Amino acid sequence: MNWRQIFLVLKREYLTRVKSKGFIWATILVPVGFAAFIGIVVFISVWESDVSFEIGILDETSQVAESLVEMNAARYLNYSEMPVDSLRAMVQREQITGYIVITEENITENRSLELIYSGSGGIQLLTSLQADIREVIREERLRRAEVSPEIQAIYDTRIALDSRRLTREGLDVDDDTLFFSIVGMLMGIIIFVAIFSYGGYITRGVIEEKTNRIIEVIASSVKPIELLTGKMAGVGALAITQFSIWILAFLGLSSLAGPVAMSLMSQQPQLEGDLAEAQAELPFFLDMPAIETSLIIFFVIFFLLGYLLYSSLFAAIGSAADSDTDTQQLMLPITAPIMIAYFIMLHTWRSPDSVLSVVSSMIPFFSPILMITRIAITEVPIWQISLAIFLMLVTFAGTMWLSAKIYKVGILSYGNSASFKDLLKWVKQ
Amino acid sequence: MPTIEVHNLSKHFGKTKAVQNVSFNVEKGRITGLLGPNGAGKTTTIRMINYIIPQDSGNITINGLPVSAKTQKMIGYMPEERGLYKKMKVGEQLVYLSQLKGLSKEKAREQIKYWLNRFDAYDWHSKTVGELSKGMSQKIQFIATIVHNPDIYIFDEPFSGLDPINSELLKEIIIELRGKGKTVLFSTHRMEQVEQMCDDICLFNNGKVVLTGNLRQVKKDFGKNTVLIEFEGNAEFLDELKNVRINNRSTNFAEIRILDDMNPQDILIKAMQNAEIHKFQLVEPSLNEIFISTVGEDNIKNKKELLA
Repeated sequence: MNWRQIFLVLKREYLTRVKSKGFIWATILVPVGFAAFIGIVVFISVWESDVSFEIGILDETSQVAESLVEMNAARYLNYSEMPVDSLRAMVQREQITGYIVITEENITENRSLELIYSGSGGIQLLTSLQADIREVIREERLRRAEVSPEIQAIYDTRIALDSRRLTREGLDVDDDTLFFSIVGMLMGIIIFVAIFSYGGYITRGVIEEKTNRIIEVIASSVKPIELLTGKMAGVGALAITQFSIWILAFLGLSSLAGPVAMSLMSQQPQLEGDLAEAQAELPFFLDMPAIETSLIIFFVIFFLLGYLLYSSLFAAIGSAADSDTDTQQLMLPITAPIMIAYFIMLHTWRSPDSVLSVVSSMIPFFSPILMITRIAITEVPIWQISLAIFLMLVTFAGTMWLSAKIYKVGILSYGNSASFKDLLKWVKQ
Repeated sequence: MPTIEVHNLSKHFGKTKAVQNVSFNVEKGRITGLLGPNGAGKTTTIRMINYIIPQDSGNITINGLPVSAKTQKMIGYMPEERGLYKKMKVGEQLVYLSQLKGLSKEKAREQIKYWLNRFDAYDWHSKTVGELSKGMSQKIQFIATIVHNPDIYIFDEPFSGLDPINSELLKEIIIELRGKGKTVLFSTHRMEQVEQMCDDICLFNNGKVVLTGNLRQVKKDFGKNTVLIEFEGNAEFLDELKNVRINNRSTNFAEIRILDDMNPQDILIKAMQNAEIHKFQLVEPSLNEIFISTVGEDNIKNKKELLA
């Protein structure tokens, strides 16, 4: 291996791509898209309270309507005196969103209520109506049963479950399991997408050299293994560049987003001067717990190992194919494990310590996606992490050996895409 | 010491024996032609000389050194399947390729400037190869082959796909390189190109070398037993000749190789009885004829292509 040659290849692979329009646009658009996403979420959380729905209540028992009005005067209007027909007309004229008729049977028996409405408001309106109605009817039933205030109080109890985690050091810390579950899943997805897209760069690069017929000119100066290593390192450097820019942009944006959102919200009249309340209403990811440095380091490690493990295989596929369109079928042995890992991940992020999650997170071809998801969410024993890393390194040595063999022959065979039988022959050669 | 020495070289791919026990030398300051139909093993041999694929057995030495990454840098190689990066600028591309051959960036720039000017192509420096016409990119391809100023040049089927202007240009370059004492090896399946340019030849058939040596000597050894005849009239007499092989036959011309010790004058007599003779010449056989009689007519793979 001649390092000067490898470096020259690396430099070319890196520079030609980093200067390409596609790369520059992707690098800019992802943070812009992220900022737009945050902006939209903030916008929604600021403005959603402005939309109000007015529900007419026709209460034949005249016992629960007032409780509803008391609960939310802006939403519930006591129209018990009006005939049903005029309520219907009001809905049709869009003066009110809808109406509910409450009869004696609704209180004494378990009969469903009916909301007649224009159709606007969606699930959110329906669930909150259901909760409110349930509550007032239950209260009314309790009142009629003449239960003592103590028992009424028992019904009013709402016990929340707050969780705190006990770490090895003996400190209990706030539990952010939900937050980190999402972080873990996102990290898994990012590695999944990254392996495919940077791997795709490599496959296309190799095919381009074959179809341009420059490969033999290069092969008369550089050993195939040097070319392969240089390529993988060049695209790897590209990945690191792009991810560094994105992570910096992400950190910058999220540190900006909190204060900006808060100042926006404090301009809302009803919240003015009540910063604590504004804070409570921030979307969760603006108020995020700090992501530990160790998690970011593990992310980088698993990302790079996953990239290395798969990229050499992507190069081998490129060398065996004769054109872009021929890669589909050859790709299958690579895409299958990544897809399987992805589907297991959809289970792992909810149940990171199940046997399935633990075992598959240590299978080298799944580790990059599954182990990082587990590390983000749960306490993974260090031996499991080390074993996964060790197994990935060993497997990488194997895939690199295999790919180098295929690549060496593949780049010089023109005309037809190779079959798996051919590949086997090349490896044995 | 020969510049390139190939000794007992063999290579197989699966069950195909691509090259079998091939030996030949390429002498310094001379142009050597590797001849033979497609599939005869020329490209495989050339790739092994260029250290692109390893041999199964046998030795190749370049200036006495076994082939290695180091000997690669002594060679300027233009493969049969050739091309350039389409999206890369001409200048950058040439710098990259010559750096891979071991040149420093400064030295590479200097050489590239010289050659681009020499080919009236300096204006293309900042264009991408995709923007160039086919003829232009062929010129850039030559430059990429010779820019690191090696002592040895190997061209695999150099004239295939070249336009006539660039064909002439390449011929000039090759002759000029020999004038500077450089060593040239090229392969072709077109015999007439060899006759015009080569000092030495090496004939390949079915993975084996069937004949090698100095072109003039080879021809002399075959003797003046070929008749060129130009005539007007009935050509049927040609079919009545026995023990001859007729190449290049047309309505009023034929190249006749005599296979036994028939007196050429007999052909002339027969011809005069049937047609009006414009020209009758006794010459050395053509390379095509030499190839056919060495290998035997039935043993030639892709014969049509060879004679095309």
